[in-house]
Amino acid sequence: MAERKPHIEVENLEIHYGDVPAVRGVSFSVQPGEQLTLLGPSGCGKTTTLRAIAGLEQPMAGEIRIAGAPVYSSAQHVNIPAEKRGLSMVFQSYAIWPHMTVFENVAYGLRVRRESKEAIAQKVERALDMVQMRAFSARGASQLSGGQQQRVALARAFVFQPSVLLFDEPLSNLDAKLRADMRIELRELQHRLGITSVYVTHDLEEALAMSDRIVVMKDGLIAQVGSPLEIYNHPRNAFVADFVGSANLIRGRNRTDLAMGDVVALETLSGHVVYGMAHGRPAGADLTFSIRTVHLGLSAAKPAGTQNVWPVRVERSVFQGDFTQTHVAWGDQRLVIRGAAMEPLPEGSEAFLSVEPKRVVLLEE
Amino acid sequence: MAQRTGLAMRRLNWSPQALAGALVALVAGLLVLYPVAFLLQAALNTGDPEARPPTEYGLDNFAGLLAYPQIILNTLTVSLAATVMALILGFVMAWIITRTNVPGRRFFEQMMVVPYYLTPLLGALAWSLLGTPESGFLNQVYRALGGSEYLIDINTPYGIAWVMALFEGSVAFVMIGAVMKSMDPALEEASQVMGASRLRTMLRITLPLVLPGVLGAAVFVFAEMLGSFAVALVLGLPNRYYVVTTAIYQLVQQYPPKIPVAAAMGTSLFVVMFVTLFIYRRIITAGSYVTITGKAFRPRVNDVGRLRYLLCAICVFYLFCSVVLPLLTLFYASIQNISTAFPPLSNFTTEHFYKAFTMNAATTALGNSLWLALWTATLGVLLMGLISWIIYRSRLPGASVIEYIVMFPQSVPRLIFAFGMMWAWLIFPIPIYGTLWLLLIAYLTVFLPLGVRTISGVMLQIDKSLEECAQMCGAGWGYRIRTVTVPLLWPGLIAAWLLLFVASIRELGASILLMGPHSKVITPSIVESWFASSTELTAAMALIQTLVVAIAVAVLMAITRRATTHITD
Repeated sequence: MAERKPHIEVENLEIHYGDVPAVRGVSFSVQPGEQLTLLGPSGCGKTTTLRAIAGLEQPMAGEIRIAGAPVYSSAQHVNIPAEKRGLSMVFQSYAIWPHMTVFENVAYGLRVRRESKEAIAQKVERALDMVQMRAFSARGASQLSGGQQQRVALARAFVFQPSVLLFDEPLSNLDAKLRADMRIELRELQHRLGITSVYVTHDLEEALAMSDRIVVMKDGLIAQVGSPLEIYNHPRNAFVADFVGSANLIRGRNRTDLAMGDVVALETLSGHVVYGMAHGRPAGADLTFSIRTVHLGLSAAKPAGTQNVWPVRVERSVFQGDFTQTHVAWGDQRLVIRGAAMEPLPEGSEAFLSVEPKRVVLLEE
Repeated sequence: MAQRTGLAMRRLNWSPQALAGALVALVAGLLVLYPVAFLLQAALNTGDPEARPPTEYGLDNFAGLLAYPQIILNTLTVSLAATVMALILGFVMAWIITRTNVPGRRFFEQMMVVPYYLTPLLGALAWSLLGTPESGFLNQVYRALGGSEYLIDINTPYGIAWVMALFEGSVAFVMIGAVMKSMDPALEEASQVMGASRLRTMLRITLPLVLPGVLGAAVFVFAEMLGSFAVALVLGLPNRYYVVTTAIYQLVQQYPPKIPVAAAMGTSLFVVMFVTLFIYRRIITAGSYVTITGKAFRPRVNDVGRLRYLLCAICVFYLFCSVVLPLLTLFYASIQNISTAFPPLSNFTTEHFYKAFTMNAATTALGNSLWLALWTATLGVLLMGLISWIIYRSRLPGASVIEYIVMFPQSVPRLIFAFGMMWAWLIFPIPIYGTLWLLLIAYLTVFLPLGVRTISGVMLQIDKSLEECAQMCGAGWGYRIRTVTVPLLWPGLIAAWLLLFVASIRELGASILLMGPHSKVITPSIVESWFASSTELTAAMALIQTLVVAIAVAVLMAITRRATTHITD
């Protein structure tokens, strides 16, 4: 793929709230048309970073460029106010103005831009069509449900064709079912509009489903950047492994004598030998592996093969609908296994635990 | 444009909002700090009192205060007595209304603010008619029933304290009631579930939990009472019983005036109040473990059985003393030629109301007050709205300093503020001393905390992202304010307008020092009329003023009620 000029570039961004650092030197870039997600637990600085791109938060240091031109730069003393950055944003609270109708809400950005009456009517209509809200055009904003407000907020955000759309946890106030539907709708809309977007969420599924690329943040720093698949399959460290889905972490001594090519092996304190993949990552004297809970297999009969097969005792088995979560005792550690088609094994029974070595990922730290 | 460099661009753009912010901050700073500076200058002036600027500075004036031990003693006696009474009243009423199943709780709760709107001045006038030893209506009735001499003497320290507690003590009710309301009933229920008796729960859980709140209210009310003026003036003057505020007024009004001593007295009072309010804030923050979770709870209502009729009677008695009786008394007096408890039929007349509406002095004063109230409210809403926006929304540097300055007049009695202002504007190059313009400036200054608190209260309820969203849609500051902020803030702005209007009509402390012979306003005129002309005419004027205030308050309540239902939709 040809190298294109990034649409948004964030460089060494630092933001403080009083004396408290919220963002401590963050750099990333967003390609034109790309959907990038900032993912992390609350307080990791993801929303603050988004608001700094929007121009609603004043950074301490660093630089933000949009289409090559700095909109904030501490070195050049540039800070362009939010309304002149040509971006748009969907807020967590939707921010639907209660004193205006749906039409007036959506038309706001166009009126600011002094478009003609006919153009406004036409564009608002088209935008409301795209979010299936045309029938509600004359409604007052306070008569809308949460999901409807969400759609109006969306239409209002893209109707004036901004160069970038920013999303601040737009789905977090919806109930679970609606959220899943809106996720797909949003993704489709984003594809149709082909607009560059930055999306903030703490919801893993949302991030995986919606993004071209994910930036995982922790304590104001970037923990990992990568595609949803990369992030999920090859977490760099224990934080990402644990935050992005559920994972078992296994620590032990590096058994260099068993290593072969990209395959590395460790021995735990209780003497279990585990084989995993290094994916080119450097292996020191002590290793940490991450294994997704869904990649562990559990069976009553001993599976074929000798690598990564261990006898275990089932401690607890909890049926949770789409999957069954099983806890097993494995040496001095407890492992968590999630399986869908698994017939629940009786608690206290003996079983065999297995995992393919390619599902066992070496962490960097 | 992005190429601009240098210091000007370091932290902020000199956008219109930054300019407006700087300008408003400057105006607010000037309004508040300019008179305070002159107050301090006068207090430290030990040279020729007529020389301006002073030729010598020193602390002699403060040492001179020791020559007035009686005034300090009087002030402490009255303030302490009034605080204790206000707290007892406030606590009992708050407990009855928020925690028991007394009949008519809702009604009583709404009525509790009425004494405050009636003003301490009106209360003092009415109780003076009721309780002076010789001619007080109550004492006349007492003698008619066979008593000798008199039943009560309102012109005593405790009489003054009683009226102050009745009419300025509702703040104690509001504060203690808020604490009782914000207490999670689960805390008490937990105690009972664990097997504690009702009494034990009351002593070990309820009381410790509300105590910091009550203590906070005590300190706050005490500070209020220290700065109280109207009641002590009306009830204390006949016996030459002075507290610090009335003493300052006397020192400034007498001939020759003792400006430096008055200034030193004012400064000391203001320091004491400042310290007291500081202590109050410490108590409130230190005791915040109490109950304040920001959540509103439905307080648990105690079934008090038969006792509720007694409690109801207490509420009725309180409202009778603070609302019904004063209004009836004033009305009764205003329709008599010479007021007495048992008048012959021929004594009744409407002459005083006729006079109040035709007499030049009264109509001019009322007209001036209305004019001032209209302008104070209109300009005030503009200024205070901008200030609120700057403090709570702008993210401009120094916003918290502005907040501090703006809230400053709260801890200075208005009389003392006006004293600083009088001294400051006397030498101002533009001759506004003795005109309504000076009163307008004074009102705008002393009501800054009232207006800013009212508007910012509503502003803080409006989600910030509503404005930010307009910004993201590309709207500049002015457009944003016009299309989003102001329409959303509208109910708050109207409420603030009416509150400022009412406050201006009733203002006494600042007006009494600043009004000139050609800029009379209504409340000080009522006081003047009380001391100089007829009691009955004064009663009529006070009732007319009350009617104007009542109409404004009724409109206010109708609007705020509609606004709150609109928001909760």
